[in-house]
Amino acid sequence: MSTNRHLIEQEELMAYLDGELPTRQATEAMSHLDLCPECQTLAADFRSVSRELMAWEVESGEVDISPEINAALEERVQKRELANVSSLRLKNRVMTSRWVWAGALAIVCVAVGLKLTLTSRNRNEGASMGMGAVGDRSTAYPSMASIEQYLMPDRDAEIALARSAAPESISNHAKILVLGWRGYETAIEGKNGFVCLVERSWGNPFNSAEFWNPRIRVPECFNPAAARSILPLTFKRTDMVLAGLSKVQMIDRIKAGFEDKELPAPEPGAMCYMMSRAGYLNDAIGHHVPHLMFYFPLTDKSSWGADLPDSPVTMNPQFEGGPEPITEFVIPVAKWSDGTVAPAM
Amino acid sequence: MTSDEALMLEFQGGSRAAFEELFARYRKPLYGFFGRRLNNPERADDLAQETFLAVIRAAHRYEPRASVRTYLYGIALKLLAAERRRFATSSAFAQSAPEPKTDGNPETVLWVRQAMEKLDARDREILMLREYEQLSYSDIAELLRIPVNTVRSRLFRSRLTLKGYLELEAKTNPALRPSAGQPHPGRRGMQ
Repeated sequence: MSTNRHLIEQEELMAYLDGELPTRQATEAMSHLDLCPECQTLAADFRSVSRELMAWEVESGEVDISPEINAALEERVQKRELANVSSLRLKNRVMTSRWVWAGALAIVCVAVGLKLTLTSRNRNEGASMGMGAVGDRSTAYPSMASIEQYLMPDRDAEIALARSAAPESISNHAKILVLGWRGYETAIEGKNGFVCLVERSWGNPFNSAEFWNPRIRVPECFNPAAARSILPLTFKRTDMVLAGLSKVQMIDRIKAGFEDKELPAPEPGAMCYMMSRAGYLNDAIGHHVPHLMFYFPLTDKSSWGADLPDSPVTMNPQFEGGPEPITEFVIPVAKWSDGTVAPAM
Repeated sequence: MTSDEALMLEFQGGSRAAFEELFARYRKPLYGFFGRRLNNPERADDLAQETFLAVIRAAHRYEPRASVRTYLYGIALKLLAAERRRFATSSAFAQSAPEPKTDGNPETVLWVRQAMEKLDARDREILMLREYEQLSYSDIAELLRIPVNTVRSRLFRSRLTLKGYLELEAKTNPALRPSAGQPHPGRRGMQ
């Protein structure tokens, strides 16, 4: 395989399959793989090797914590408690002997507390205005759970869930991605340019209280234009989440990604099917209603009549400058992807 | 639900429950790490426990610069190296060691192991860290102190080499080869 005939090297193809390429290169690799039978064969070879290696599983029974570990734990806990007591005593002595500092310290604490209160209020106000600020609202999901909680152990179930986003006439010929330990991976190659996958909680706005909700499973099928221009945002967020970045870091990098043109603007005609009756969008609405989504560069929602009385169009605050400069309109449809009638919205 | 790193920090702060959760998450993966490399289930179990002992003893030094996953396998690699040094001076050890139990077809497992053993030792370690421990290229590079590009090129080489071995083996003993299209339970690597 020469680089003259292929847009990607063989090693790059392997790195793509391993989820090790940066977003832009991964998108290029994905597009090339769709069109290159030779690379598809090589990819199948790599997958075959990995699959066969998995035959070597090591059986391990349930083993409790050994007595040695228990003893070491006890010792550590006792040391920790002693250290805490010593620290407290030292602190008390210092505070007693230097009581005159207490008044000054109290004044400083009040000042700092006042400052923090004001800062927090400003931040929350920013978040409620949809400005993309990272609001630290009281939430049941304050931080990321272990990665295992976001993965679906049954690969076939994830494939089926991803496909349920769109009618079979579309999803049966779509590329299917599943989430692995290192990001989204191709489970099934497609033929029609659509890409279906199950998004996780970090597709939510950054100020969402459920940004880390590990129960969230959002089946989506992107049309070709959205697969090229919206899906990279999913990859980007996923890569950063799995790399352990903070929300602030993620927001900064997304902003930089758009500034550097690493992340694309929505292509004309970019849209997505979300017609699964088996998804779980959040704790409040469960699987919601079947709908379609349409993506644009930041757009005045009044141009679509979105959110007006009796208008079927709503604006989804998923992106809306927080920080992705994208407006997303949602239109409910009458049936689930399996053709059954959905309840009225 | 809490991330590994948050659990580790809680454990640093004295939480026994946090340690127990980490133990529950990583005992089997660590047993698998040693089990595949030592062919001795008893020592594999001992060393998995020793890894956790090392975590307890060094907890105060842990800094959340790397993932807990990488941190644990870093400790495990050091214990493995020490074990191999001991093994090198004690030939009786391996001869008396029983084969580890596996969940897969024993003949298929033997065939995979034999193919793996033909690989260059350094390449094999990179391949195993990627396929079985699910570490990223950069994590492997950090653990083995080699450039990321070296990890990628060796991984590429070892996968192609292994593919050749496996195909040769399949021609020689077609009955041993697992169905190429049939995924194995617990599959988490390249898909």
